[in-house]
Amino acid sequence: MIRELSALTRRELLRLSRNPQAIATSLLIPLLYLLLFGQAFNIGNLLSSSPNGQVYLLQALRGAPTYFSYFAAGMTGFVALTATLFIGANVIFDRLFGVLKRTSASPVSPTAIFGSRLLAGMIQPVGLAFLVLGIAIFLGDIGLNGLKVTAAFSIVGAVEIVLAILIVSAMFASLFLAIGFSIEQPQSYFAVVNAINLPVLLTSAALYPWGTMPAWFQTVASYNPITLAVTVLRENLFAGATSYYPYGPAVYLGGLAAWAVAMFLLATFLAARALAPKG
Amino acid sequence: MTDPIVAQDLVKVYNGKVTAVNGVSFQVAEGELFGFLGPNGAGKTTTVQMLTGNLRLTSGRATVAGIDVAREPLAVKERIGLVFQEGTADPDLTGRENLELAAALFRVPMRSTKTVINGLLERLQIADAADRLVKTFSGGMRRRLELAVGIIHSPKILFLDEPTLGLDPQGRAGFWRYVLELRKEKGMTVFVTTHYLDEADEMCDRIAIIDHGKIVATGTPSQLKDRLGGDVVTVRPTGPAGAPFETLLRGLPRVTAVSAAEGGYRVKVPKGEELIPTLVDACTRSGISLAGVSLKRPSLDEVFLEFTGREFREDEGMSATDRAVRLGQVQQAWGRARR
Repeated sequence: MIRELSALTRRELLRLSRNPQAIATSLLIPLLYLLLFGQAFNIGNLLSSSPNGQVYLLQALRGAPTYFSYFAAGMTGFVALTATLFIGANVIFDRLFGVLKRTSASPVSPTAIFGSRLLAGMIQPVGLAFLVLGIAIFLGDIGLNGLKVTAAFSIVGAVEIVLAILIVSAMFASLFLAIGFSIEQPQSYFAVVNAINLPVLLTSAALYPWGTMPAWFQTVASYNPITLAVTVLRENLFAGATSYYPYGPAVYLGGLAAWAVAMFLLATFLAARALAPKG
Repeated sequence: MTDPIVAQDLVKVYNGKVTAVNGVSFQVAEGELFGFLGPNGAGKTTTVQMLTGNLRLTSGRATVAGIDVAREPLAVKERIGLVFQEGTADPDLTGRENLELAAALFRVPMRSTKTVINGLLERLQIADAADRLVKTFSGGMRRRLELAVGIIHSPKILFLDEPTLGLDPQGRAGFWRYVLELRKEKGMTVFVTTHYLDEADEMCDRIAIIDHGKIVATGTPSQLKDRLGGDVVTVRPTGPAGAPFETLLRGLPRVTAVSAAEGGYRVKVPKGEELIPTLVDACTRSGISLAGVSLKRPSLDEVFLEFTGREFREDEGMSATDRAVRLGQVQQAWGRARR
């Protein structure tokens, strides 16, 4: 089982690494947002530089020193969604090109076929998320708004960030695999994915400052998986941020894990159905 | 000892409506090269899919390597090789990477994986292209890679589903050369579906002809051709072919059978070339003018015609699977229209 799982995961990662267009597309929206939206929408400029103004800003951004810093953490979490999208699409293309037929005809369990895609879907976004994080910091070095990390580095913090990205990636990879195993046509897949993408982003706290969101929206956003992941990032990137949030990172990681388990169960059910002998 | 492949009254009905396979039974003996012959839509691929554990049986029973395919499909998959009619290698991996993946999935011992892969690449003459992406391979190279993937674990039973479809004659000949060599060396039992009649005639030890989901004849190519009773002379008069003409044909020396064919008659006779001058002479004397006379040696085309009552056409009809998919699409469209 381990050998089959690792061989299939290697194959998924090889395919992803040989598809620079997919990597570029995964990064395009988050980077475009960082370069345009994040640069132009700097609400800190609207506030006075008085101590009161700064206190209000810190409250609105829940401890982030600038809107861009707050927003950059949001985009880092959002990469988990854009990078896992291709994992589901690959199922459809593998079915069209006969690769899935070949794999299903081998004595490998559906668990390994599904698990390998899930693993690849978790591993790839971690690298891309740290790339986005690095670019966001680098922008500050070239005279643009950049990410300012104000918290001290800690091993626990770094592990929590990696865990948040891994779990939110597992959740979205499961979601997109569930869709990929249920839909046969690529155009239908991308139509469904497009219908999911923006609503998930727009109902999260990746873009909006907490302080400017109405209470009902804060409630909705609190349950959004991107919000949960991004909150773990913000609590670890910005000094004192934890005091602005009702819970510590472990609780948000727990919430994220609940989402991931739910999507995992849905996806395994649909994958097992799709990979069982036909008829 | 049980035969490596045994099918008993196999039935497959898609969507409860399309009967693709309708009561098929046969056995394939150890080391035999068994051909499953029929036009598109006859039920060949459906039968292979059921025998290889990739499609549920509607009814009937099948054992492969002594294992019930319905009960233990994974155990069957471990013991067989399968080459599909379409390409299934990953186009974004190299030839070698595809084989490495197949070796892992079929649990080829890790210590011998490299040797096995290099041996197959050399044997099938794709070693030079082994580290190129498969999407750059020619059709013939892809087919050979498919064969390599199918036999990477040295199976004792090999299923080939239309393995030479789309290949040119040279490619087909090359592919069969490898299969026959491997079969001889490893004593493999080979089950092949094809609609290339010449291929089946030349390569197979025994053949089953399937049409509309039913086996209509089984035997060695020689046995099947012998059942025709010799050569077939097809004769077409210029005018309507009536009873007097048929009586004339039946009265010719050594004629064993006469049957109506399109615009004329098919006459069976041991030596066709000896009949033709006599036939033309008899027609001239009776005042019957002929539009054409043709002679065919016994062939599987003739066998097919004999048992199904129609000509064998390679591109005839859509496959049973396609028919089932089309039916599903029609049902979905009908459902949408009703909503």
